Amino acid sequence: MKNTLMLLFLFCVAMISSASAQTIVANPGVKSAEISKADLRDIFSGSSSTFKDGSHAVPVTLKAGSVHDEFLKTYVGKTDAGYRAAWRMLVFTGQGSMPKTVDSDAQVIEYVASTPGAIGYVSKAAVSEKVKTLIVR
Amino acid sequence: MKRISLVLFALVIAAGVVTAQDSEQKFQIHGFATQGFLYSSANNYLSAKTSDGSPRWSDAAISFGSSLSDKLRIGVQLHFEQLGELGGQHVGIDWASGDFKVNDKLGFRAGKVKTVYGLFNDSQDVDSVHLWSLLPEPFYAPDNKSFNLSHWGGDVYGTLNLGRKLGKLSYTAFGGERSLDLNGGYMMQLTNFGIPFTTAPSGEVFGGDLRWRTPAKGLVLGSSIASTNVEGTSPAGAININKSVSPVFYAKYEKGKFFAGGEYKRFPYSGTLTVGTFPVPQSYDQHSWYVMTSYRVTPKMSLGTYYTQAEDRASDTSHVGNYFKDWTVSSRYDFNQYFYAKAEGHFIDGRGLGFYGTNNDSRTNLMALKVGFVF
Repeated sequence: MKNTLMLLFLFCVAMISSASAQTIVANPGVKSAEISKADLRDIFSGSSSTFKDGSHAVPVTLKAGSVHDEFLKTYVGKTDAGYRAAWRMLVFTGQGSMPKTVDSDAQVIEYVASTPGAIGYVSKAAVSEKVKTLIVR
Repeated sequence: MKRISLVLFALVIAAGVVTAQDSEQKFQIHGFATQGFLYSSANNYLSAKTSDGSPRWSDAAISFGSSLSDKLRIGVQLHFEQLGELGGQHVGIDWASGDFKVNDKLGFRAGKVKTVYGLFNDSQDVDSVHLWSLLPEPFYAPDNKSFNLSHWGGDVYGTLNLGRKLGKLSYTAFGGERSLDLNGGYMMQLTNFGIPFTTAPSGEVFGGDLRWRTPAKGLVLGSSIASTNVEGTSPAGAININKSVSPVFYAKYEKGKFFAGGEYKRFPYSGTLTVGTFPVPQSYDQHSWYVMTSYRVTPKMSLGTYYTQAEDRASDTSHVGNYFKDWTVSSRYDFNQYFYAKAEGHFIDGRGLGFYGTNNDSRTNLMALKVGFVF
């Protein structure tokens, strides 16, 4: 019985993780190995600029595409237009700066690997050893 | 001519900047430009000759910002606006500030800073982030925008994490000084009253904002308060508005493509207008509220509606000059992430706000069209 429950639990975990089209990646210098959905939303909506341990977070996003849209929908709760409007509101009210935006997964990896505190997302196939993969709680 | 030059300048500079800022995040340039058209069935609204159809509704802004370190950011935003007979012919400073954020819980801003008050006060001049061409007039009067928008002084701000079950609480405390706009609606009213000013009347402003991001995802509840006074003299007279306290309560709910929000505000004041040597006592007590909702129908198209109402309870609220009601329907189409167009209908009852000079009808139907560019 115990084994059955364990298998069922592992199956559910696998299903949930495969349902997510993207992987959260961070600079190897980022201390934490995991991040909560709420913290991800705060960092990518501009309402927080730090990780839970207090270190500076530098978000990087893709310009467009299904991975980008899915990330925004799943973790930020906004459409691409809503996301841009929220950041523009911060910029034009003097309360923030636009996050770095790049064209491809490879550029996300490159930027995250070379920028202290950087955090971004890429499609699962693009994950590289140059960056740290964060587990989303 | 200056107006067209600035709009063109913003558009030309944008082409070079859109890609440039991506390669260097330490320094950013952003901007926007809009051109609108107002047409009303009766009356002239917001000082424009809207009953004939008026294209005198343009604005443009350019913003420069630089992150000097992880915690320190500086920036300035220049803004031009022409609305009917208001604004125009000069470029003003929207904000110019240094921002030192110690951590998420504590930060400081100083300089000319946007005033955080209610849901949209600090973003009311940023057309590109709103579905609405005209936000609810009793809260975000386009004819007196610059007075409410920002203050010279500072803010202390931060966000406290109350835990997973209680959400987050953001606070802003502000203080400083602000001036009436010599080219704004209040000044036009004073000029019409026989007191033209050459130096802008000004006063102190103090207040704060608390907004609670509740555990219910997407639901924000908040309240702001501002205490302000205004004093000024001119060769023809003087204005003296006593210190008054104006509270606002608000709520918004946002989930994916859906948005709903609303605010309630009380704006009382008393004071004296002196025409020559003759004092005229003033008293006003505006109670106002609105509710709004919008939905993104397709990735490029949004639709929405709001209803707002205001009345001056210090006067006869049944008089057409003491109340204002506006039912608005709005649409927006984003051609891409830089260009958009808006079309909006207003069904206004009363002339309590936004009307200047002689207007005869109690009802005004208004069409507002706008195209905008943002980068």
